[in-house]
Amino acid sequence: MSSTFAGEIRAGCSRRVRCAAANLLGWVFVGLAVFPAASRSHAQQAPEAINPPPTAKDWTELAKLPDWSGIWFPDLADQRRQVAGNPPPWTEAAAAQVRELVQQERAGHPKLIFSGCLPESMPAWMLVSHNAMEILFTPGRVTLLGESDSNRLRRIYTDGRKHPEDPDLTFHGHSIAHWEGDVLVVDTVGIRPQTFIAVSEAVGLPNNGDLHVVERIHLAGPNTLHDELEITAPHLLTRPWKTTRIFYRQRQRKFDIVEGICLEASFTEAKDKYGNAILVPVPHDEEGIKITPSPK
Amino acid sequence: MNQNPFKVFALVVLALGLVAAPIFAHHSAAMYDTSKKITLEGVVKELAWTNPHVVLTIIANAKDGQPAQTWSLETTSPGNLTRLGWTKRTFKAGDKVKVLVSPLRNGKPGAWFVSGVLLDTGKEVVGGLPTVEPDDDEPDHKK
Repeated sequence: MSSTFAGEIRAGCSRRVRCAAANLLGWVFVGLAVFPAASRSHAQQAPEAINPPPTAKDWTELAKLPDWSGIWFPDLADQRRQVAGNPPPWTEAAAAQVRELVQQERAGHPKLIFSGCLPESMPAWMLVSHNAMEILFTPGRVTLLGESDSNRLRRIYTDGRKHPEDPDLTFHGHSIAHWEGDVLVVDTVGIRPQTFIAVSEAVGLPNNGDLHVVERIHLAGPNTLHDELEITAPHLLTRPWKTTRIFYRQRQRKFDIVEGICLEASFTEAKDKYGNAILVPVPHDEEGIKITPSPK
Repeated sequence: MNQNPFKVFALVVLALGLVAAPIFAHHSAAMYDTSKKITLEGVVKELAWTNPHVVLTIIANAKDGQPAQTWSLETTSPGNLTRLGWTKRTFKAGDKVKVLVSPLRNGKPGAWFVSGVLLDTGKEVVGGLPTVEPDDDEPDHKK
């Protein structure tokens, strides 16, 4: 409407000077009219992303997914077999460090690679965990919840989003996934360079950045879940490392995940001067050994 | 002065009022010499039912001329011990126990708890991680 008005101003001129002025005025109107439209058009191209409320159909669709309920406990013997038979393709420099760590562990001085109660993180959680996890499906999301590490958590988006262009680096990275039949294909980037590619709780090296993990997670039997990982760590491995981890379903309630606050044992129960129940830090020696008072 | 060096050490420890208990974030158990198994008999001081690792503290009886000594016996997490049938009350202060443990390599009075018996009831308790098996007859994967 505004540009039509500008056109009328231009069409109504009869002398060159007046026409020039009218034209100028007309273009000002065009500009005024177009600029907000351009802003609106820009907004339409990149609307602010929202998570829409799930519909009844979204919830119904979840019932068509494979049944991954229950508690999944890792096959610890197979973790060791995998590491022995299919070790990470370490670079030469990394292999030398790994040999040193193995010797340290054998000598009884294991390096505490998961010290300080930081999470085992990606991908070490999937590779070497001794602890249970559960998997929740909700519309647009698969969530992995693990025991220990102050309770482990991976949020895997299945709502079609892409990775952020410049993700904040985190301990578990940014995960997106899609279903290929009954296989959940998970793509994870944005993992901190300090997280370990580990073969045990004492042997592992920081990934050193640009880590990319692709997982194909699927049932391999009624109560067996396989996580087929392909780990690309260009600063640590000579080629992408393909390895599989196995988890077995447990339905007994004694396997239900319990709270696992890692720093819990670093504190002890006490009372303050008002009689309030409080937690106070316990001292540790230089090796991280808790110092407890001897009996009276 | 012809003091037994162990006795001196024990006195120093008592004077400091401290013993070392191994505890940390989840870690390799390689600091314990799992090729060794020793038996301790004594009285429970405390079961610290805490994450990431549970610690049973016992006061081991004087034995072979050594004084009574406080030992910290580490095992896995409350979650994993629950799956083996433990509760936070499996051991309580004052319980008489006999335990089989793998001691720290550094000689400090700490160890990895392998198994134990509550002497008053004869109840046996095993530490560690639950073992799980698939119940769907899946062959081992070949990858």
